[in-house]
Amino acid sequence: MSQLVGILVRRIGISVVVLIGVSMLIFAIARIIPGDPARIALGPNATAEQIAKLRGEMHLDENIVIQYGFFIKDLVSGDLGTSLYTNRPVTLDIAQFLPATLELVFLAGVIMVGLGLPLGILAARFRNKWPDHLVRALALLTVSAPSFVWAVILMLLCAYYLPLFPIAGRLSDIYEIERVTGFLTIDTLIAGNVAAFLDVWHHLILPAVALALSGIGQAARLTRANMVETYEKPYIEMAQAYGFFPHRIARIYAFKPSLIPSLTIIGLDFAAMLGNAFLVEAVFAWPGLSRYGVNVILRKDLNAIMGTVLIIALTFLIVNIIVDLLIAVLNPRIRHSTRVQS
Amino acid sequence: MSLLSIRDLSLSFRGIHGVTEVLHGIALDIAPGEKVALVGESGSGKSVTARIVLGLLQELAAARIDGEVRFGGEDMRGFSRQQFAANRGTEISMIFQDPTSSLNPTFIIERQFAEVIRRRNPGASREDCLRIAGEALAETAIPDVERVLASYPFQLSGGMNQRVMIAMALVNKPKLLIADEPGTALDVTVQAQTLQLMRQLTDEHQAAVFFISHNLGVVREFADRVYVIYRGRIVEDGPTEAIFADPRHAYTRALMAAVPRITGMGLPDIPERSDSFDAPQISHEGGS
Repeated sequence: MSQLVGILVRRIGISVVVLIGVSMLIFAIARIIPGDPARIALGPNATAEQIAKLRGEMHLDENIVIQYGFFIKDLVSGDLGTSLYTNRPVTLDIAQFLPATLELVFLAGVIMVGLGLPLGILAARFRNKWPDHLVRALALLTVSAPSFVWAVILMLLCAYYLPLFPIAGRLSDIYEIERVTGFLTIDTLIAGNVAAFLDVWHHLILPAVALALSGIGQAARLTRANMVETYEKPYIEMAQAYGFFPHRIARIYAFKPSLIPSLTIIGLDFAAMLGNAFLVEAVFAWPGLSRYGVNVILRKDLNAIMGTVLIIALTFLIVNIIVDLLIAVLNPRIRHSTRVQS
Repeated sequence: MSLLSIRDLSLSFRGIHGVTEVLHGIALDIAPGEKVALVGESGSGKSVTARIVLGLLQELAAARIDGEVRFGGEDMRGFSRQQFAANRGTEISMIFQDPTSSLNPTFIIERQFAEVIRRRNPGASREDCLRIAGEALAETAIPDVERVLASYPFQLSGGMNQRVMIAMALVNKPKLLIADEPGTALDVTVQAQTLQLMRQLTDEHQAAVFFISHNLGVVREFADRVYVIYRGRIVEDGPTEAIFADPRHAYTRALMAAVPRITGMGLPDIPERSDSFDAPQISHEGGS
């Protein structure tokens, strides 16, 4: 247990350093790319005085190091500044758009792991037989196209030609749900509105599947490859020689050692979904952070860009910490690395 | 009546380059409680014979197996996958070359032991398994049974893992124990200790041992009877003392000359192949 706490503390320390690095990098890049944010924000009819005034408020005339100092000072007090695009505090924007994206990415992650790993186990268990060939063909197919292509295909097939799912949005207009957490799956339950709750899920499935598809293929291929390697190990032959049931060998004795190397990649895939969500959200008109991020970058909305990037970086780091802890739990060699052998 | 009886067993593998013949009709008998060694160099067909007895090789599509294998009087030729699997871990168990890599690195010993015990007693509770495993481990003279059961294989020494393997192999009171080059990966003193232990415990449990080795020195200590195998054919068989006292087949003599001596005469010169090695099988009188 103490090893897990040690790992957690170390990883959080590293994450803070990474976050500071990311913030500096994005801060610099956002200011280096051409275009005057104050001029863009105020529009073509603004006077020179108005622009100069806004530049002053935004500390744009200061040295970049001093600008960064102002940014950190505000960040520490929980203020990410005001978005020039929505004219609201960036924290408020993030609080509004982030839950939609997290809901989508989280469900996609669950689908990826929930389908990808069992398919990989199945393929490895029946390696070089027809279930393996089928899984490998499907996996190759899903990996071969990016998620926004799947988004368009799924939308055409399952929402347009066959209207099984709603074509866009998070919730049908007929429902009025009070926002508490921003997570509609939770807010509809708080409101006690079962019909709206089901409607939210109905909206979620198609974009989540589109986002998850290539991850499913990736997870299945990875699991299969690692498990096929594990099947060559003496301890699997031992399990077979002692008559352990083949499905138990696959599910337990071959799967667990194989999961450890797969997990790092699956964690990265999961985090990468945040990036892929940009285009899937665009296709499904999903009011999430990714779509917000695209809009603010196009408008050179400096505060909003910083806020969005920091939140995405933070989510990446949290996912990585969770993956590291999971690996430590699964791999006794890490957990017991400090134990003295007697 | 013999416990294991093999007649005319042949094995070939179909590959992209045609058919590779591995066993050319071998015959072999093991009586209940008897310790029989199959000795030969790498690639002579020792290990595949053991895997045919377990029914593991039958699952390979590329393997073609002919001949008769009887276990406890039952002809295994028509056995289904389930029938083979039913024998494994219950009537027949196995010990491997390297005990540490034969245990799953991601589960503690207790968990793996319980899985083996439940092969015989599917309904055994965790307490039952702990008790049975504890008794089996105590037999192998492991001092700290609780600690070993709670450990991962990499936390134990090779010799300790070998004791765990021996305890696991005997816990379900199998009639036949297959030992495939047991302890070759261990250092010589530990190997000698664990072989001693294996001999003693298989005597107590009255389990027959099918001992596969390339090391004649070890075989001499361990086996009642010896079969010498060369390139998929049995070339000589008989009681251990008879073979060691009077090795008659050219290959057996060459194999014996290959055992390194402490006297420091260096390794003897053995030809890679020789026509005399292909001479017909010689059987010594006596034994079973």
